[in-house]
Amino acid sequence: MKGILILTLLLPFAAHAQLALYLMNGSTEIPVGPALNMGQVAAGDTVSMRIRIRNTGASTANITRYSADGAGFSIDRPSLPFPVGPGSVQDALLNFSASNPAIYSASLQVTSSVNSLSTIAVATVVIGPVLTVFPACTGSDGPPPAIDFGRAQTGQPRLCNLYLRNPSAQEMTISTFQVAGAAFQLSSGPKPPFKIAAGETMAFVVGFSPNAAGSYTGALAIETRTYVLNGAAFDPPLPKPLLEFDSGSFQSSQQRRLTMRLATAAPAKASGFVNLAFLPDTTLVTDDSAVVFLATGTRTLPFSVAAGSTQITIGGQTSAMFQTGTSSGRIRFTISGISTDGDPTTVLTIPASLLSLDTTTATRRTGNLDIQAIGFDNTYSAGAMVFTFLDTSGQAVPPGAILADFTQAFRAFFSKTQTGSTFQVRVSFPVTGDTSGIAAVEMKLSNGAGTTTTRVAFQ
Amino acid sequence: MKRILPVFIAVCAWSQSGIEVPSVGMIVDAAGNLRTVQGVAGNFLLGPAMASGVLSAACSEQLCLAKTNSKILSATGEVDAPPGPAVFGWHGETAVIFFPESRAFARWSDNTLQPFDWTVEGEVLSIHLGDDSIEIALRTDWAAETDGAVLLLPKGVLFATQEELILRRAGRSELRFELAGAEAITPMGPNYSAIRAGAAIYALRTEPGHEQLFLLPGGSP
Repeated sequence: MKGILILTLLLPFAAHAQLALYLMNGSTEIPVGPALNMGQVAAGDTVSMRIRIRNTGASTANITRYSADGAGFSIDRPSLPFPVGPGSVQDALLNFSASNPAIYSASLQVTSSVNSLSTIAVATVVIGPVLTVFPACTGSDGPPPAIDFGRAQTGQPRLCNLYLRNPSAQEMTISTFQVAGAAFQLSSGPKPPFKIAAGETMAFVVGFSPNAAGSYTGALAIETRTYVLNGAAFDPPLPKPLLEFDSGSFQSSQQRRLTMRLATAAPAKASGFVNLAFLPDTTLVTDDSAVVFLATGTRTLPFSVAAGSTQITIGGQTSAMFQTGTSSGRIRFTISGISTDGDPTTVLTIPASLLSLDTTTATRRTGNLDIQAIGFDNTYSAGAMVFTFLDTSGQAVPPGAILADFTQAFRAFFSKTQTGSTFQVRVSFPVTGDTSGIAAVEMKLSNGAGTTTTRVAFQ
Repeated sequence: MKRILPVFIAVCAWSQSGIEVPSVGMIVDAAGNLRTVQGVAGNFLLGPAMASGVLSAACSEQLCLAKTNSKILSATGEVDAPPGPAVFGWHGETAVIFFPESRAFARWSDNTLQPFDWTVEGEVLSIHLGDDSIEIALRTDWAAETDGAVLLLPKGVLFATQEELILRRAGRSELRFELAGAEAITPMGPNYSAIRAGAAIYALRTEPGHEQLFLLPGGSP
């Protein structure tokens, strides 16, 4: 009769009371009965279960006691007292750990202003096998216990040697012995179930075989204990990319073609970035913004190569066009985002050159002769000019050569624009008299590399 | 007597009226933004967007016009215009504009748009204004040459086949440039035509003796 009474008090918490106790399995609530079995625990390990109090009533419940009274048991919960509102829940962690093999129990009690709950938690401590991890892998006790495989190159398996020892005085049966997780596998060892004699050791090998770069996790489950397996993989270094250009000497104001290839086939699919940078010879400007890859107008393009291939695609194309700008200096191509077997950095030198004229025009206005020149000066030293007007027979018209020096104006212009050395300049010469006999003008435009001479006919 | 010279050129009175970044013209980028193109042959820079939602644009030596869905934009402002894109033909600061959606013609002069009563049958590909004439390239006239884009030039024509750009001068001399997939050709500036091929925009220098095809920065995948 007494026994029946106790069971009646303990059993139907969830059905009758405002507060109910649940064991959480993920997000699933499992009603807790009169006993809560925490299962087998290896000596020295900690097992934890998430316990939920749910208030199914219409009034707030004030929790005044929430305890797990028993050797080895503890509970992580809010400080007492704490309320659980109508329809609300409060989770806590019930923990157990002990060193000596035995059956342990504790009274799990919840006392509140509306009703009280009680159940018996039970855990069994057993002697578990002892795992030894050998270099190059490393082990840690956790929690959770873990085995680190370190960094491995893709396509090259890394093996981890392990010993499993039975520390007890009795033969031990191993029923759970499995490896899970992509890239991890049991390379050698017995199939469960198997036995380990008292004090004996069993060797086995776990392999880590990643086929792509990245971080990997897995699990090694041995009886009551699960070891987290960690490993990282990296791609093998790419053979040094060869950066090649279309033929012809490099000058300013060119659109040129870059191709990339490997001397030997790529060991794995690989990708990265090809970058360019420009360092001008002059100190008047710090860059030339026209030196870009034309596909995007930027200085970085992605590249990729397939496993087994030597052909690198740049931005999805077999080649990439770029501009050389209008400044003498050095264009530096680099690779980033991938390790390579050697430095592929390539530097192109853009030499200083005579002032280059793209378009020149000479026109007459009443009282003026106008000359317009469009071009670039990749030395940033232009300014000295000589104009000689010519008659229809090619003879110089007095006063002959007319000198002009626009050096300061050009320096100010280049410093201000910072867009390379392109320029459009107009020069007007006041005239009196009949200009119809003036047929052309000869211009000598000087910069640090020499003098450019051109003759322009009046329109 | 001529050598004694009836003309006097001031030796020291020359004036330099300014140094500027050279402008090549304007384009409509892949996002429909009107952008200036600066630089010299082989060295181009795109300026910031000057207008968005631009359907068509064209530049002569004197000025540029752009067409949004309902306006004509110019350096001096904007005026209402028939909906949709436009085909421009230039002569100096005067333009004849065809609006394909309404099949209407108008003249642009002195910053005003004046409709005029003109009718043509078929697809208008390009318009060119001469000193005293208007030349219109119709699809039917060009069917034997190409089913692609055509642009009439002052002394020639530029048209696209599936694999090439063909620059044909008066006298039928031709220059060919390898370029597949050209979809549209527009006057970018006095010496350049803009060619759109997919997301890429090319610039063809059409100045006699300097013909060359370039790729403009950006706009290509």
